[in-house]
Amino acid sequence: MKQLLANIKGDKTIWAIIAVLAIFSFLPVYSSSTNLVYVTGKGTTFGYLIKHAILILLGFVIVYATHKIPYKYFSGLSVLLMPVVVLLLIFTMTQGTVISGANASRWIQIPFVGMGFQTSTLAVVVVMMFVARYLARNRDKQIIFKESILYLWLPVAIILMLILPANFSTTAIAFVMVMLLVFLGGYPIKYIMYILGMAVLVFAIFLLTAKAFPDVIKNTRIQTWSSRIENFSSGESENNYQAEKAKIAIASGEINGKGPGKSVQKNFLPQSSSDFIYAIIVEEFGLIGAILIVLLYLGLLFRIVIITTKTDTIFGTLLALGVGIPIIFQAFINIAVAVGLFPVTGQPLPLISTGGTSIWMTCFAIGVVLSISVANKEKVKESNEDIELENPLDILHEAVG
Amino acid sequence: MATQKKQILNKTYILSGLIVLFAVAIIYKLIEIQFVHGDDYRSLAEQNTVKTFEIKANRGNVYTADGSLLATSISKFDVRMDPISVSDKDFEKGIRELSKSLSKMLGKSAGFYENSIRKARANKNRYLFITRNLSFNEYQELKKFPIFKLGTYKGGLIIEQRTVREHPIGKMAERAVGFDDYRGKVGIEGYFYEYLRGKNGQRLKQKIAKGQWKPISDNNEIEPIDGRDVITTIDLKIQDIAHYALLEQLEKFDAEHGTVVVMETQTGEIKAISNLGKTKKGTYSARRNYAVWESHEPGSTFKLMGMVVALEDKVIDTSQIIDTENGVISFYKRKVRDSHRGGYGKISAARVFEVSSNVGMVKIINDHYKDNPKKFIDGLNRMSIGKKLGLSIKGEGNPVIPNPDDKDNWNGLSLPWMAYGYGVSFTPLQILTFYNAIANNGEMVKPQFIKEIRTQSNSITTFDKEVINPKICSQETIDKVKVMMQNVVKRGTAENIYNDNFSMAGKTGTCQTDYWKESGTKYISSFVGYFPADNPKYSCIVVIHKPDKKIGYYGNIVAGPVFNKIAHKIYSETPVQDEIILKNELVSFDKNYEKYYKKVNTNYKSMPNVKNMSGMDAIPLLENLGFSVNAKGNGKVKEQSVKAGSKVKKGTEIVLNLS
Repeated sequence: MKQLLANIKGDKTIWAIIAVLAIFSFLPVYSSSTNLVYVTGKGTTFGYLIKHAILILLGFVIVYATHKIPYKYFSGLSVLLMPVVVLLLIFTMTQGTVISGANASRWIQIPFVGMGFQTSTLAVVVVMMFVARYLARNRDKQIIFKESILYLWLPVAIILMLILPANFSTTAIAFVMVMLLVFLGGYPIKYIMYILGMAVLVFAIFLLTAKAFPDVIKNTRIQTWSSRIENFSSGESENNYQAEKAKIAIASGEINGKGPGKSVQKNFLPQSSSDFIYAIIVEEFGLIGAILIVLLYLGLLFRIVIITTKTDTIFGTLLALGVGIPIIFQAFINIAVAVGLFPVTGQPLPLISTGGTSIWMTCFAIGVVLSISVANKEKVKESNEDIELENPLDILHEAVG
Repeated sequence: MATQKKQILNKTYILSGLIVLFAVAIIYKLIEIQFVHGDDYRSLAEQNTVKTFEIKANRGNVYTADGSLLATSISKFDVRMDPISVSDKDFEKGIRELSKSLSKMLGKSAGFYENSIRKARANKNRYLFITRNLSFNEYQELKKFPIFKLGTYKGGLIIEQRTVREHPIGKMAERAVGFDDYRGKVGIEGYFYEYLRGKNGQRLKQKIAKGQWKPISDNNEIEPIDGRDVITTIDLKIQDIAHYALLEQLEKFDAEHGTVVVMETQTGEIKAISNLGKTKKGTYSARRNYAVWESHEPGSTFKLMGMVVALEDKVIDTSQIIDTENGVISFYKRKVRDSHRGGYGKISAARVFEVSSNVGMVKIINDHYKDNPKKFIDGLNRMSIGKKLGLSIKGEGNPVIPNPDDKDNWNGLSLPWMAYGYGVSFTPLQILTFYNAIANNGEMVKPQFIKEIRTQSNSITTFDKEVINPKICSQETIDKVKVMMQNVVKRGTAENIYNDNFSMAGKTGTCQTDYWKESGTKYISSFVGYFPADNPKYSCIVVIHKPDKKIGYYGNIVAGPVFNKIAHKIYSETPVQDEIILKNELVSFDKNYEKYYKKVNTNYKSMPNVKNMSGMDAIPLLENLGFSVNAKGNGKVKEQSVKAGSKVKKGTEIVLNLS
């Protein structure tokens, strides 16, 4: 144990925050599983608890393993992973999972384990790393728009387009994240505007084709998206069942909460263990618990910013921001949905919600951030920026050697 | 472009600042939800998830005086099936057996059940009707049938429970027992509903998923209080006798409806009350509580009231001669006739009553009261017959006695008509109460339906005898009219029911009704009286409305025999010490028993002859001798497997065929 602790490197505060979040996550997950078991009639609450424990444990293995990898390798890794992600996404689309009649293929089965894996979540992390790499590599050059289209935007666009049909909100958030990152990375604002314009155009064309030729693009979830957004703006109570129940949960929590496991609204909130877990947390742990969770994520943000400040390389800076900020964003979007600041999107609460993919990818991202902090602490200036490998395949050599 | 770290960091700080702002917005929103709209949402939460459920209190039972159940609440079960929820495997495995079991319990063929269940499965009928009104025991058995034993979710068994009010003794006193439900409040059930109903309890429950509710705490918020039991005065045996006597006569005379009430003379306890009306199908069932509700012109039974008033006022005496002429007398061109054509000539006042001479009665009353009708009316009212009895059963009809001061409703005909029971109106129970007062030597007691209200262990209220009028008239008058009433049976209009062994007293009534209708005059036949005549124990009224005129309509023919039958049966079947009546029967019974006693005490060395003995006697006799008996059938012994007189070892099996 001592040795394990000794091997843990990097930002101790981040380790502490994720540990607190992970341990805390058992309470609402266990609480909301009662309803899941009752409704589906499958499994036991204890089973859900064990499953969550295994997911969290694996998550920490991922954090540990990732933070041991010197962050420079992620540059090349992102390039290598891009085609893999594309293939996985195409494979996912063929799975044909359907949510209430609409295409919602987001999952692939991990062979032998029998667990689902949401490929889009992985894709987003890889895309962020890829963008960070591109920006870092071109830090000194005058960026030529046409060139950036080919080397940056085309791969990004391919991946986003593959996620879009099944998962609009993830695509939108990923797109916003990418735009944020390129803005932070010094990509000219003029070009950002072009890209924004093009994205809107592409999305509009997609919508129109889907509506004009429903046969061509079958079973899209366009209906779901538009109704969700319409409902949010019009505030129709009938369709805002979940949102209302979430608010009832928040209001019933009052300051101290009802106590762990005593939520009532978990019985009526679909996705109480994932999308609306924050509402359950407020109901059971009150305003105090609610604010604590927000503060924990803000602490995480603070540490990520500190790490970026301390990093010597541009790649390190952008990588930390590129994988770190989305975690914070996801967390606050999930919370915003629960409190009614955002339309219902279906984003999990990082490190607390159930769901392997979300936990693991968050852990992977945290691992990457930690890896950068490790580099900061050890002050290993790997002969400055040149270390960012020119040839992505070199990573393989190093790994073998 | 030369990206500077400084620039990146600056933008990052701005971004972080925005995120912190967003976090602040979230916290603001949280506080807003909790404190600004908090109460709304919290009350919404309560509305949506917490509900008060009523726990029904058990309704009390209604008992007869001797503790038999008249009305009780029991659970009935309706059975439906959702064949779709049964898996293919379970379905094919169990459908045969299930159909057979259903067929055994419910009667239709196994094929019928199999077909209908298969059809429902194919047509996706998830609410297939199987049967209704199963008792708890049947329901317990049904739950064990194949497929059904898998329960609701896997076996598709749908049970709907209802609480129904049952009358274990059937239709006999159904109307008097009454009901208290969507139809209203009627009879004992209706009047004592406050005691019977109890108080429903409450339990708070919280909604959980799938539309289920779970109790919030271990105990009920308000415990239900079960209804009290009501012990009536009804005597099951007498009720049984009265009911069937009335039913038989109604059927015989194809009457429209009828009622019988038997009352205990001293206490006013109603021992039996039966109300039967003809249904559309021509059968009779309890339709309305005629005895309590139906106020009608009594006809000749009212002559007693007139006679009592006249005797009390000493305007006549029993021996006074009245000229009934030739049976017809006219008032304002309207005629009063005696039913006996040609009249009775000059007879005593007592005889007028015995033969129920209308002319005679009209003369007695009209001659003495026409100048001061008020005196007669006051005489009637003095005997407390002008007011309702104030019964514990709802819906008592109003008695009507016209008032001479009321000029609109009083004319020259009022008094003579009243003399023989027209222009006044009483319910059968009101008439009976008056006759009972005579039988009870002038003490008028209120008809009592209820003895006691109790919980299972404690008596809550007991109801004692209530006296309406301690002395309605002088003993002298009572003695006189008692003799007259006894003579009605002995040699008057009800001669036909006279019996040497048994004394009864009463008055017949044959009252015209519907005489104002074009469909023609109909009759109300009645008989009211008490028995035994010299020491009255019970009084009883029989009223039969609209018998078929072709078969008969006189009170002594239609109603009299019902009274007679009730009086006789009560005396032969209830253990009242009256040796004269029971003498003959007791003798034959004693003889039988002696014979049996002798047989039992004989020390048999061989097989006794048990032929023609009742099984009940033969089996213990043989068993006492050490044989093992195998009896087949019911009734008397027809055959015995071992001949009488043959020697048999102890322990031999003897087969008896009974029939």
